[in-house]
Amino acid sequence: MAIQLNISAKIAETPAEDQPTVHYMPCRIKSDGPANVSSYFKPIPLESDPKYKKASFRGRPLLGKDIVMPSGYKGLVVQETKQPLVENIDRTLHVSHVFDKITYWNWDKMPSANDAFISALDWIDIAEAIHAPVDSSKD
Amino acid sequence: MEDSSVSCAEHLAQYFSEKDNSENVVLSSVVPEICKTEKCCLGVDEAGRGPVLGPMVYGVAYCPLDKSDALKKLGCADSKVLTEEKREELFGKLCEGKDYVGWSVEVIAPNSICNSMLRRQKYSLNQVSHDSAIGLIKKAVEAGVNISEVYVDTVGPADKYQEKLSKIFPDFKITVASKADATYPCVSAASICAKVSRDRALQVWKFEDGIDKPAEGWGSGYPNDPVTKKFLQQNIDPIFGFPHMVRMSWSTADKILESSATTVEWEEEDEEASPGTPSITSFFGSSKTKKSRTQHPFFKERNLAPTASLN
Repeated sequence: MAIQLNISAKIAETPAEDQPTVHYMPCRIKSDGPANVSSYFKPIPLESDPKYKKASFRGRPLLGKDIVMPSGYKGLVVQETKQPLVENIDRTLHVSHVFDKITYWNWDKMPSANDAFISALDWIDIAEAIHAPVDSSKD
Repeated sequence: MEDSSVSCAEHLAQYFSEKDNSENVVLSSVVPEICKTEKCCLGVDEAGRGPVLGPMVYGVAYCPLDKSDALKKLGCADSKVLTEEKREELFGKLCEGKDYVGWSVEVIAPNSICNSMLRRQKYSLNQVSHDSAIGLIKKAVEAGVNISEVYVDTVGPADKYQEKLSKIFPDFKITVASKADATYPCVSAASICAKVSRDRALQVWKFEDGIDKPAEGWGSGYPNDPVTKKFLQQNIDPIFGFPHMVRMSWSTADKILESSATTVEWEEEDEEASPGTPSITSFFGSSKTKKSRTQHPFFKERNLAPTASLN
């Protein structure tokens, strides 16, 4: 079953200032749809270190940090217009937005390399190193 | 901050309306010169501890020991038995008495109360209260108030609280008692400053964009008040819960969200159930089933797994 990804040139080239703000939340919100983010979710940079931000969600204190996508990579928001009725068939996804950074949030804990999401990006460098063509002349 | 312009409750309202109400603020009167030289008594009290709505306000008020009777004559009594009008009138009188009485309040934002109570390491409302009181006393000391006696309306067991305060401020004669606001004029004065500040902070409350200030208000903020109940029912956002005026850490608020808002599950909470122990039956089954390749810890730690299909 092939997966086809449709992306328009216009969306692919969205300049940073027009890209959506993407938040990685430390909780599962059992909903899929629009949310009134700008009214209720207002991150503020920490006075002690403005690289980090604070916010609250459902009364809980959150600490966050912007994570820039590794160079050569882009974040994608994809949507499927037709939900498949059976398994194992071709799927078509449409890219609705692209983003170059994401705000990663922890519940009352500074984001760090100990967080699975942040350290998962290590794989990109390792994958590149192990998949790069081997130059045998250097041995 | 020092603000000499506060002389009546209206000024408080103006000050609070310019502040971000999701952050704590401290507002203090000027320290009267006489309070820097003469030995003073200082009272500590709070307002708005119980309600599910709005800030909790801590207040301190101080005056020279021999002016305590003057405070009493003003009519400083337990602020809870005074009408709102009377409290505001007395607050005005306290501000007029700026040559011998000073005060300071900390407005603890409802958002900040929730954030404290819902931390990973529980920081209880009692601790929040104690820390606010201690912070205000320290500020008064830093501002030059010559404190000799401190009277505190208790939060939690009075003897333990008194012991805690005596350790932090060994030079002061500290009295922690319940109903101290009805007994000691300086505690009554503190209580009036705190209550008036809370009332005014709520009066000028700015809601999130798109939420209209309810015409009938929000009532007392106590869960059994039908106006408060209605306000809570009518201001639920399915994703975010309540506006930041509501203390979402209160069980009243939490229960309403449980039934009327989108379910939210927090990662850390399910970690308790350890998946490490295999069930006893797994030892008796046939071992013929092909073992899947185990993942290297590198991938496990990073929550990485190969994906071959979409869900």
